[in-house]
Amino acid sequence: MPSGLALQLTARDLSKAYGLRWALRDLNLDLVPGECVALLGPNGAGKTTLLKLLAGLIYPTRGDIRLNGVQLSRSSTELRSTIGFLTPGEHLYENLTVRENLDFFTALYNKNHSLVAIARALEEVELTNWSQEYVSALSSGMKFRLSIAKWQLLEVGLLLLDEPYGVLDGSGINLLEAFLKSQCEKGNVVVIASHHIARVLQLCTRALILHLGKLTFDEPRRQPWDSFERAFADFLPHGGP
Amino acid sequence: MKLLRQTYLLLRKDLVLELRRRESLLTMFFFGTLLLFVFHFAFDLVPEKVTEMTPALLWLAFLFTGTLGLTQLFEAERTNHCLDALLLSPMDRGALFLAKTCFNIILMVAVEIVVVPLFWILFNLRSWEAVPLLLGVAFLGTIGFCVLGTLLSGVTLKARARELLLPLVLFPLMVPVILATIRCMEAILRNGNMGDALPWLRLLLGFDVIFVTVGILIFDWTIDV
Amino acid sequence: MQATVPKNRKGYLGALALILVIVGLYWGLIHAPPDAYQGNAQRIMYLHIPSILTAYLSFFLVFVGSCLYLWKREKRDDILAHSAAEIGVLFTALTIVEGSIWGKPTWGVWWTWDARLTLTAILLLIFVGYLMLRSLIEEESRAASAAAILGIIGFLDIPLIHMSVYWWRTLHQPPSILRPDKAPWDNIHPAMLTALAINFVAFILLYFYLLSLRFRLGEMTEEIKTRRMDRGR
Repeated sequence: MPSGLALQLTARDLSKAYGLRWALRDLNLDLVPGECVALLGPNGAGKTTLLKLLAGLIYPTRGDIRLNGVQLSRSSTELRSTIGFLTPGEHLYENLTVRENLDFFTALYNKNHSLVAIARALEEVELTNWSQEYVSALSSGMKFRLSIAKWQLLEVGLLLLDEPYGVLDGSGINLLEAFLKSQCEKGNVVVIASHHIARVLQLCTRALILHLGKLTFDEPRRQPWDSFERAFADFLPHGGP
Repeated sequence: MKLLRQTYLLLRKDLVLELRRRESLLTMFFFGTLLLFVFHFAFDLVPEKVTEMTPALLWLAFLFTGTLGLTQLFEAERTNHCLDALLLSPMDRGALFLAKTCFNIILMVAVEIVVVPLFWILFNLRSWEAVPLLLGVAFLGTIGFCVLGTLLSGVTLKARARELLLPLVLFPLMVPVILATIRCMEAILRNGNMGDALPWLRLLLGFDVIFVTVGILIFDWTIDV
Repeated sequence: MQATVPKNRKGYLGALALILVIVGLYWGLIHAPPDAYQGNAQRIMYLHIPSILTAYLSFFLVFVGSCLYLWKREKRDDILAHSAAEIGVLFTALTIVEGSIWGKPTWGVWWTWDARLTLTAILLLIFVGYLMLRSLIEEESRAASAAAILGIIGFLDIPLIHMSVYWWRTLHQPPSILRPDKAPWDNIHPAMLTALAINFVAFILLYFYLLSLRFRLGEMTEEIKTRRMDRGR
């Protein structure tokens, strides 16, 4: 039941250079509502760079990104309210309480920040008892759950995740995957960069492989997936996910 | 209006964080007081000399204390890449500029309100009736300082040696504010009112208005991941 | 990068500048009569006034380059701002040294805090701050943006700095050419005015010659960088 923002993302000739080095070259990408995309590749392939470009945190050296036809640039503050970026442990104020963090960000994004909404979000991630605690008192797994609650409340249309699986235990993983599933069902777009290939592939409808800044593989998921195993084997010492 | 609403949110967040830890406020505070002692030893301030040197000494103390505040201005955003979180959001960059400027102004004014009377006490000055007007002029000068300081603080966020670079680029540009504020303060101490220092006051106001406007417009380009 | 100013045109500019500098030096230092009050020491003004004007012109170019860069993000505009700043430092430092040389026989001291010298010193500090900012920021595009912001702020501040320093210090002689009540040419012996005019043009040409050289250097550096990056395709 799509109730999300129906975002369509188009990236053309996307390139980013740092100094003399190209982190990303001539990338072309189309994302449609409801997709859950796995972004894979070895370290240094450019996954984080791509995510940051899509989030509008950094700007391309060449090429552009469009959301529903509107170019993502320095001045697109409205577009930014539809994009979420989730990295474990980040984007939370350590010396504010759990509730204050949620209150601050929901107010900044001009979303519903009533006590009821925040309480409900905390309940869903099982952090109700920690609502008055400083974020610095939370474990990394709990901080991540707080991040999930935050993005749940901010109601974005494009959610970008950078290595989410590292800090999570079993119940945390279930929580994350349930959250992501519901996002895709709403019609939102999810992109996950991860090394946990087995889990990510189960979740996703499409896989991208980045290698040395170039997109070398881009296919919707199918069963069995010989082409993927072949493409991915190039990066692993002994082949096979 | 969105700009004001976001400014208020950001400023409130900074004030809450500051009141909890009081890191900036206390260091600025003690540093300002420490400077008064250093001045006493360095300049051998006898009563005859003090009155004419008061504006300069006060403003020197505020300049250095304010610079201290500026170097810590974005400290809250440093951990957990919170600056990214703000840049990611639909926050108007001008709001961040206004919020940080106001925050630094509040810190400096808090220090000034204590340091000025302290100065009067330590150096046995009698002209207490001049203090409110003096603080008023200091406030205008503080605005000018914080506005340019916040702009340049944003610009130098990712530079090497930024604690040294910031004063280096800021101080030459502060000359109008330094001259204007000190001349106004001198007039106040001499006559009890502005008198012939009115042109200086106008210059100071002009400086403040120009750079607040410029700041709101160009802050977007100063701050980057 | 395609050269903005073709090589032979730079050559003509350089040659013309050189000729005019020599003519100007002769006219100012030998041909024009010595000043009634200051004697031969006044002759340094033929160099001092043009170089201070070129210093301000330089900052204006930094401002223009900075605005264009923030607007269009074209590397060329950034190179213009950077080059103008570097040559500007040169001319500003030159102005201060010339002012000092004039000061010694006239006032008996190497330095005084009068309006003109102080303003020139502040301008030098702003230029130096600009160049230091550029060198201390590692990533190229960020350094360019940061410098552009500083360039704009600095330029907008200069009139205010000017006003405040002039109000504060009024002991430097009133500019003998720009007296509001008389026309510029009434105050000065025609030969002196000619000397000044020639030197003024000479300095401007010299400035633009040096600027074009520095600009070309910037373009070539950029070209090398682009080629190295494209090779890593």
